Amino acid sequence: MLIITRISRFVSNFQNLVALFAGACIIISLIGILSLPLAFEEHQLYPKTLDPASSLYPYDRGGVPFGTTEVVAQYPENSPYVGYVTTYLTPLSQYLADHTHYLGTTIVAHPGGIIDEILYNTRGLDTVVETSILFTAFAIASYLYRREEE
Amino acid sequence: MPDIGGIDLFVLEFGDILHYYTPYTTTLFLLALIFTALAIVSRPEGQIDIAFGGDAYYAKETTLPEMRFRRFMAIACGLATMGAMGSGDLFNFTLFASLVGITNVGIVAAVKNRHVLNAAYEYGIVAMVATLPLFGGAALILATTGTLSIPALAAGGFAVPFVGKALLVLGVIGEGMAPFYAAKAEMFRAPGAPYVIMCSLSSLLIFLRVVEIAITI
Repeated sequence: MLIITRISRFVSNFQNLVALFAGACIIISLIGILSLPLAFEEHQLYPKTLDPASSLYPYDRGGVPFGTTEVVAQYPENSPYVGYVTTYLTPLSQYLADHTHYLGTTIVAHPGGIIDEILYNTRGLDTVVETSILFTAFAIASYLYRREEE
Repeated sequence: MPDIGGIDLFVLEFGDILHYYTPYTTTLFLLALIFTALAIVSRPEGQIDIAFGGDAYYAKETTLPEMRFRRFMAIACGLATMGAMGSGDLFNFTLFASLVGITNVGIVAAVKNRHVLNAAYEYGIVAMVATLPLFGGAALILATTGTLSIPALAAGGFAVPFVGKALLVLGVIGEGMAPFYAAKAEMFRAPGAPYVIMCSLSSLLIFLRVVEIAITI
């Protein structure tokens, strides 16, 4: 049997798909390991420093709430209000941040968390698309679940 | 850097995330748009299986709720494809690509056919695992260059590592391009033609786009 026939027979069976993809991942990972070390670019557009003492950890992006904060953006001309909105917290979130140390762990569980993410407006579209993925997955799951009741 | 997209025709700004349309991406965008419109207006096919050696045949009916759900998923798939075509941000592109993967599973998830669902399950596993190289590639490029903007990376001055591009392309290939196409080909056995073909078209367009990105940056 020709080798190409064997390969195409193996590839055409979808039961082998996971193994095939795992093999491809291993090959690319090996190339990645061999190409180490990759230099880390010190001049990051979105710098991040972690401060475990902060009550907003790990979501603390620095800055003064309701004040002006310097934010680096790729296209500053597209985000004229950039420094004002990264530090936005609702009064409830502000209260929780002032009195507890766990606001960072409840970032989506209270009003202000999600809004804070969305209003981080230099990369706001990311948040919208991420949520769309989540809602699409929910739509599929709820359709399949409710179909059994019909 | 080779500029295979051509000049920018139109730029849509969302803060740091640009959607830019060159003649190349505009063509892909219009293809996705036309096909989404076709999926909206057309009715699903009625598949007929003929039993071999006799007069018996099975007509496969698509019920109205099932058709509605699959049309919804096909439209979502079209929108995700259109988003990925114009996206000028690497991370946003990977998000759109994984959204396409999920909607592809959604299009056939409503079908009550053991063979199709088995294929969709295998496809879903690979599409899910493929998000790791996809996002890993974007993260690697961000770490080594400091930016995610495709126009900025294409302008030159950045050393984008080969393995970052390779991971990005591998992630997109895992969403259903050859040689990982077997499960997707089996998914097309599901009745309801305009919606299942959306699966094929979306991964083709996404692949054409990622090739452009990998060559440009």
